Amino acid sequence: MGKAPEHDLHDARRGKEAALLRLFDDHHLPLFRYAWRLTGSTADAEDIVQECFLALLRPDCSFDPARTAIRTYLFGAVRNQSLNRLRRREQGVAAESTDHRTPETEALRGETAEAVANAIAGLPEAQREVLLLAHYEQLSLAEIAEIMQLEVTAVKSRLQRARATLRETLAAYAPRTERTI
Amino acid sequence: MNDTELDRLLDTWEAPAPPPSMREGLRVRCPRAKRRRFPRPLRWVLVIAAATATLAIGMEQNGENSWDFRLLRVLNRLYEGFMQGLEARQAASIKARIRQSEPKVYVDGQLVAPLEYGPAGRMDVQVPGEGAYSIISYPGLAGWVEAGHFHGNAIEFQAGSKQVRIECNKPIVDSDRPVFARRRP
Repeated sequence: MGKAPEHDLHDARRGKEAALLRLFDDHHLPLFRYAWRLTGSTADAEDIVQECFLALLRPDCSFDPARTAIRTYLFGAVRNQSLNRLRRREQGVAAESTDHRTPETEALRGETAEAVANAIAGLPEAQREVLLLAHYEQLSLAEIAEIMQLEVTAVKSRLQRARATLRETLAAYAPRTERTI
Repeated sequence: MNDTELDRLLDTWEAPAPPPSMREGLRVRCPRAKRRRFPRPLRWVLVIAAATATLAIGMEQNGENSWDFRLLRVLNRLYEGFMQGLEARQAASIKARIRQSEPKVYVDGQLVAPLEYGPAGRMDVQVPGEGAYSIISYPGLAGWVEAGHFHGNAIEFQAGSKQVRIECNKPIVDSDRPVFARRRP
């Protein structure tokens, strides 16, 4: 309805459900994709994204519209929640299998896509996060730096390393281009 | 493998669409604002009604009946003016939302000329074969009849024998409400 995000947030905090849903409509797609790629689980991604929007309404929410864009804040919140879940999963607190590794979904996924997913999953966590935000969500290096609380140069170098690793890992899947001499 | 080839390869890993339940789930989990015992307009009605009754009883007891009617009429006008102002404000707010939501007007399913915006909360629609119709979101004006309703991101109403539907790309009302229409001379 054309309102600035901070106005919608102000209204949402006063209990206006429609304002919260407007914020959700504007931002949920990339957040869901990012959470899904980090956790590999549709159910986790859905829950994480909902939780991040609800967290915005809590009195102790640290979001300050004067300092951070809401999109950046939400990506940061999704990142933190996703990583917490992954760590809990690794510690066996919630031993769920990731969706993209179940036999049913694997059967549906193309071989190349599966290889890409596995190659990305094999990257160090810090490189994986940068790659997901930069390549799949098209965030700028400055935005990623703000989300991950890094210097832009560090983000750039992680992205370069991630891409170099993927180039090697996925070499067998490179599109074959016929060249004329 | 060059950058473009790597990008293409990475693009093969597509994320699924979010489940349709996600939005509804958020809505359900959204904490509700504590409802006031009476909505704000109703509270004003109650305050004015109580004040009127107190004054009327007081004047009855003092035998000043000549003032009774006049005072009641003034209070009644004040109340009506207040309520009309409130409704006009709401109508203007709805109109502003519609303006920002790229409305498309369909008459019997056919896309027709865009909406025109009049003063206050009024909007005008050209209905082929039926002429021009004005619509507004509040009652109480002479010559206007309830002809349909606003709901979600759409307005639907009957204009003569034609069914008009105005579709916006965003929700324009939080809950369903009637639409009032009048054929323009």
